[in-house]
Amino acid sequence: MSGTRTSLRISVSSLRAHKRRFAGTFTAVLLGVAFLTGTLVMGDTLRGSFDTLFGDAAGGTDAVVRSANVVTVPGDTQGTREPVDTALIEKIGRTPGVAAVAPRIEGAGQLVGSDGKPVGGQGPPTLAGNWIDDARLNPYRLAAGRLPSRTGEVVLNRGAAEAGKLSIGDTTVLRTPEPVRVTVVGLATFGGEDGMGQVTYTGMTRADAEKYLTAKPGRAASIQVRAGPGTSQRELVDSLRTVLPSGVEAITGQRSADENREMISGQFLSLFTTLLLVFSGIVLLVATFSIHNTFAIVVAQRTRENALLRALGATKRQVVGATLAEAGVVALVASAAGLLGGIGIAAGMRALFPVIGFPFPEGPLVISALSMLLPLAVGVVVCLGSALLPAVRAGRTAPLAALRETAVDDSGASRTRAVVGTALGLAGTAAIVTGVFAAPSLVLAAAGAVLALAAFVVLGPVASSVAVRFLGGPLDRLRGVSGALAKRNALRSPRRTAATATALMIGVAVVSLFTVFGASLKATMDQTVSRSFAGDLAVSVPAFGGGGSGLSPGLAPALAELPEVGSAVGLGRGVAEVDGDGRQLTVTDPPALAEGFDLGSVDGSFDGFGNRGIAVSRAQADDRNLRVGDTTRLTFTDGGKETFTVRAVYERSELAGDYVITRAAWAPHRTQDADTLVSVTFADGVPAAEAGAAVEKTAAAFGNPDVQTREEYARTSAGAIDMMLTLIYALLALAVLIALLGIANTLTLAVHERTGELGLLRAVGQTRAQLRAMVRWESVLVAAFGTAGGLALGGLLGWVVVEASEGAGDTAFAFALPPAQLALVGVVGLTAGAIAGWRPARRAARLDVLRAIATE
Amino acid sequence: MIAGTAATGTTTTGTMTTATAARVVDAVKVYGRGDTRVRALDGVSVGFPAGRFTAIMGPSGSGKSTLMHCAAGLDTLTSGSALIGDTDLSTLDDRGLTLLRRERVGFVFQAFNLIPTLTVAENITLPMDLAGAARDDEWYDALIDVVGLRDRLHHRPGELSGGQQQRVAVARAFAGSPDVVFADEPTGNLDSRSGEEVLRLLSGTVRRTNRTVVMVTHDPVAAAHADEVVFLADGRLVDRMTDPTAERVLDRLKAFDTRTTSGPLPPEPRS
Repeated sequence: MSGTRTSLRISVSSLRAHKRRFAGTFTAVLLGVAFLTGTLVMGDTLRGSFDTLFGDAAGGTDAVVRSANVVTVPGDTQGTREPVDTALIEKIGRTPGVAAVAPRIEGAGQLVGSDGKPVGGQGPPTLAGNWIDDARLNPYRLAAGRLPSRTGEVVLNRGAAEAGKLSIGDTTVLRTPEPVRVTVVGLATFGGEDGMGQVTYTGMTRADAEKYLTAKPGRAASIQVRAGPGTSQRELVDSLRTVLPSGVEAITGQRSADENREMISGQFLSLFTTLLLVFSGIVLLVATFSIHNTFAIVVAQRTRENALLRALGATKRQVVGATLAEAGVVALVASAAGLLGGIGIAAGMRALFPVIGFPFPEGPLVISALSMLLPLAVGVVVCLGSALLPAVRAGRTAPLAALRETAVDDSGASRTRAVVGTALGLAGTAAIVTGVFAAPSLVLAAAGAVLALAAFVVLGPVASSVAVRFLGGPLDRLRGVSGALAKRNALRSPRRTAATATALMIGVAVVSLFTVFGASLKATMDQTVSRSFAGDLAVSVPAFGGGGSGLSPGLAPALAELPEVGSAVGLGRGVAEVDGDGRQLTVTDPPALAEGFDLGSVDGSFDGFGNRGIAVSRAQADDRNLRVGDTTRLTFTDGGKETFTVRAVYERSELAGDYVITRAAWAPHRTQDADTLVSVTFADGVPAAEAGAAVEKTAAAFGNPDVQTREEYARTSAGAIDMMLTLIYALLALAVLIALLGIANTLTLAVHERTGELGLLRAVGQTRAQLRAMVRWESVLVAAFGTAGGLALGGLLGWVVVEASEGAGDTAFAFALPPAQLALVGVVGLTAGAIAGWRPARRAARLDVLRAIATE
Repeated sequence: MIAGTAATGTTTTGTMTTATAARVVDAVKVYGRGDTRVRALDGVSVGFPAGRFTAIMGPSGSGKSTLMHCAAGLDTLTSGSALIGDTDLSTLDDRGLTLLRRERVGFVFQAFNLIPTLTVAENITLPMDLAGAARDDEWYDALIDVVGLRDRLHHRPGELSGGQQQRVAVARAFAGSPDVVFADEPTGNLDSRSGEEVLRLLSGTVRRTNRTVVMVTHDPVAAAHADEVVFLADGRLVDRMTDPTAERVLDRLKAFDTRTTSGPLPPEPRS
């Protein structure tokens, strides 16, 4: 159709003429698409890298023989598996089709580096195991030195050795968590690399592995089997099944690799990519507002041009088409550039992550068709969607408008808007109040929060006049007539001001939401520690994820023997099925537990548990209808079923966990013992410094764990939250950047629109500096409005999330407003506003006075 | 400020010494280069006497707007000099020119004359507010009465008619007691009745308060309100006429037309 072609020609020529106007839109689409592409490419790349990694790790293993008994607790998809009897090896070796067989004895083993600090432990596992001699069953290859042959000799993967500054011949400590003195005799590589990602691996003799890594000799985590020529993995597993006793299973090497990969992808990767996708969504939402605003302004400015087209016989459809075609061209070009940018981001992140300590395996960039097509589609849809309303408005231009003075969009807030916004706000408030107080429900509260967000967006133009007048109040006095002009310019078009500020508002709201949520988490953690931790010192090993080895169970008794120490209690960890549900157990000395930790009100007593006593937190006891004196059945990983009697029901479970049994009761079922935390109480009358020094000295022999006062312990516990917040801020910075580009763009368009006025101001004596200040202050005012709205909205959302989580869950959640951080967010918003106004201000000041007056 | 002491700056007429508020000497302004090179001003020397209302006339393209822009410090000359009082504008940088405009020159333009976000009162005092100077209340009060807008002081320009807006612009131009007020086609956008009001306001203010106004126009009726008319053609000063009437001015212009064969005064092209 020739009409379409005409539309396209008009839009292309107008794009060419007004390249600048669309710079902001272009950048917004580009950044949004780049972020999304980067996320997708990085997700695929990481998944690909992990695939390669687990493929390499499985390598020549054709079948894995392991116990069928496994207890899975919520939040841990792999579960805790019973070790398998190594006596089976002989039987397996005789099975037809088996070429080689080896036990895999593996457990947590954290190395201590030459500087006395633990190596790794912040995420990826720190593993120790027996060095498997069969080269095809062992993914590690000896790269330097020799294999361990005597007790105490170990091989390290090269990456771990480098991280701990250890070389062949060095002696150090391996925490299993029992401190073991080891001598490095060799270095190993994994698939040609320095390690399996950032996993640290210590290979020892089979005798050492059995001694330190398993609870009972003659057991292994699993048995690796390699098939002989002509036997497939499937056939091998089938023939193994015929010889294995009940309770022991055989799976193919392929399935074992899949399970491992599933664990990483399922837990960590999907969480990571979901988080990034959510932020891409936020970025694109902010971009939508910016883009919409740009098109709305451009259409308003072009009223005359469009009216002329209509007067000359262009149909409504052609005018709409021309505007949409313009948006389409911008969308396509910007999205294409965004794709490239996204690939660049992914490549950059891949290179950057190891440098800043994020442990990701290396691998080639994986660029799938989906991660190209999806962002492209999203970019085009977002851009066209944002331009749709302005385009329709352009189509409605009356031909007569061509004859009028230049129309400037100065529409204010309509009544409908106020009514709809208020209704949304009321509905949101009702949902929030109900979801938080009346009938605690996260879903209802979240729905309320979304309604509140919508209310903020809809009410923006209504609020903007009042807000700008209020925020700009001091400007007249501070900045004289330039300040007053800035304020009035911001007041000119409430809808435009609001739309510009909305993008920033959403960005700031999300930032403050996380700030409030993070502060609340920290306050909660602080409260937990100060409430539940009754000791003077906490001994722990900083670690999260699969890393770290915990503390030696020998540490607490050793500390308790010190004359300076009154009591020391270690919290060990066990798992069992309680009445059929997998649950984490706390393994400890119950009377000492009641002393080292404040458990709140307690029914029953922690004394005289015997081998069949159990203490249960009140929340779990209520769930299961358990009272002191009742019995419950525990099933352990070795299949043992035992009946326990409830001896105590206690209130606070944050540190002590939900189920407490004695070490004696756990001993027959244990796998690898480790304590997570030791609480030390000083003996009466001993100065804290003296007792602390004694504890440190004793603890040092156990692999140098952290010895901290209660306050220090609370602070470190919250440290991970700060790290998370930093990452989130970095991601949100992009959304805020786009919002600021939006402000800059709106101002540039406004400057263009007010050319004549600016020229007049210059002609009657406004200096360039005054003119710049005027534009900058307008920018700051718009930013102030957006920032204030964002802070209010973010604070509200944060409160809703915290309160609703507390109402819905059974853990206490403290709400905290961090004034300093929020003030900082505000200052950043305002400063950013001033920066956003910098370029438009300079452009405005460069205007040639004569030209400005002559231009209409 | 007004008194010019240089010999070339004063002309003695009888017993009265009249200073020139603004003047250009050998003014040359060249636009473009090569084939598109245009000499908009080709060696013009003219003084605008203080306390007088002078109109600059000429066919379109004669250089009258350029002359005004250069004399007012909005534009710079290619060669020659422009002076406000004794101040040579070529010695001032952008900031100096801005301050000069703010303190010693007033402007009335054809369009875009008022800031839409400011009230009438704020528009009038804008140059003084920009300078951070205190306003002369007596003068301001007198001016408001002359302009006749006392009841409209707190309105926005958008609420006024075109003629009222232009009267506000005139008040603003005189508010800071400038040495000279330049008006560029001040009646170009107005109907004849409103235009007449604005012109009377300009000439009346000049006579009553001894101010200086230089007005560019292509309308002989407007020019008739001036004390003197200077005629420009092809970038040169071709004639001066004191105590003009519309008929005489029109006749003079017709003389150009017959000579230059151009049509009857088309509207000014926009640059």
